[in-house]
Amino acid sequence: MMRLYVEGIGLLGPGLDGWSASRAVLAGEAAYVAAPTNLRASDMLPAAERRRAGVPIKLALTVGQEAFLQAGRETKSASTVFTSSGGDNDNVHAINGILATAPREVSPTRFHNSVHNAAAGYWCIAAGSHEPSTSLCAYDASFVAGLLESATQVVVDDAVVALVAYDHSYPEPLHSVRPITTSFGAALILTKQQSAKSLAAIEVEFRSGKAPETTMKDEALEDLRKGVPAARVLPLLAALAAAKTTQISIDYLEGNHLDIRVTPC
Amino acid sequence: MAASAQEKELAQLIVTSLNLEVSADEIEPDAPLYGEGLGLDSIDILELSLAISKTYGVQLKSDDADNNKIFSSLRSLNEHIQQHKAQ
Repeated sequence: MMRLYVEGIGLLGPGLDGWSASRAVLAGEAAYVAAPTNLRASDMLPAAERRRAGVPIKLALTVGQEAFLQAGRETKSASTVFTSSGGDNDNVHAINGILATAPREVSPTRFHNSVHNAAAGYWCIAAGSHEPSTSLCAYDASFVAGLLESATQVVVDDAVVALVAYDHSYPEPLHSVRPITTSFGAALILTKQQSAKSLAAIEVEFRSGKAPETTMKDEALEDLRKGVPAARVLPLLAALAAAKTTQISIDYLEGNHLDIRVTPC
Repeated sequence: MAASAQEKELAQLIVTSLNLEVSADEIEPDAPLYGEGLGLDSIDILELSLAISKTYGVQLKSDDADNNKIFSSLRSLNEHIQQHKAQ
């Protein structure tokens, strides 16, 4: 079991425009109202990077910035773990289109954005960060994989880690093959030591085998959770929003799962 | 000197292909494109070279010794394109 503290939270999804604006909805105290995800390029970015930023960069930087602001930490001060099932899916579609058409000249900007750690690169430029950064993916379990990696770094290295999870839809025809329903991102600032800013302790435990997965009570939020890999974080965010001791379970790869106990500070 | 029709067309290509936050009218014909001035960087120059190749059929090579001169301003870039484009 790994025990860590949540100091800051960032959130951006359909009808979920920031953690502070969404806390009551996630706690079940206010009704969820669906609306398109309010994507915007972060003002942390220099102009050249801002105009090249695709949807994943907009998601990752917006939620990362909100989480750091809440934690009261400098953006350059923490290690980062970025996790996304597909990365920049618009870019994959566009490059496929270019490669399928003579003379197959790929745009340098698209090539620049095609690496899976593009969000980490943009973040480090925007934040002026020289701290370690990890980028990973694990299909529908991408969020859990990111949480396991972050928790390990926090506990083993006593690092402050910003975990940033994000995903967005593929255009057709890829959407039919890998349906991700919408754009969604979330960020958590995780620490080993409790501080005055700590919102909750979370105890994370990897478990072999299946267990009933924690679902969202609201039907639309449950559809969101199931429809976007990064939105598998929603039960954890709901537990943090409720601010009471809660036990949740999230599926991991190959029939395994993660048990998470949330205890408010 | 005000921008010519050809320079305005090229300015629009620069804005569109690089997703610039300025309008084509705001690009001064004699102001530097790279670094100070319009603030383009090396990725922008590569992207612009691709757009020019597709639009005008003029190949701009990364190892051309005259690149600094060619990309020094909207005006010099337009002159180079007009001299080399397929007739």
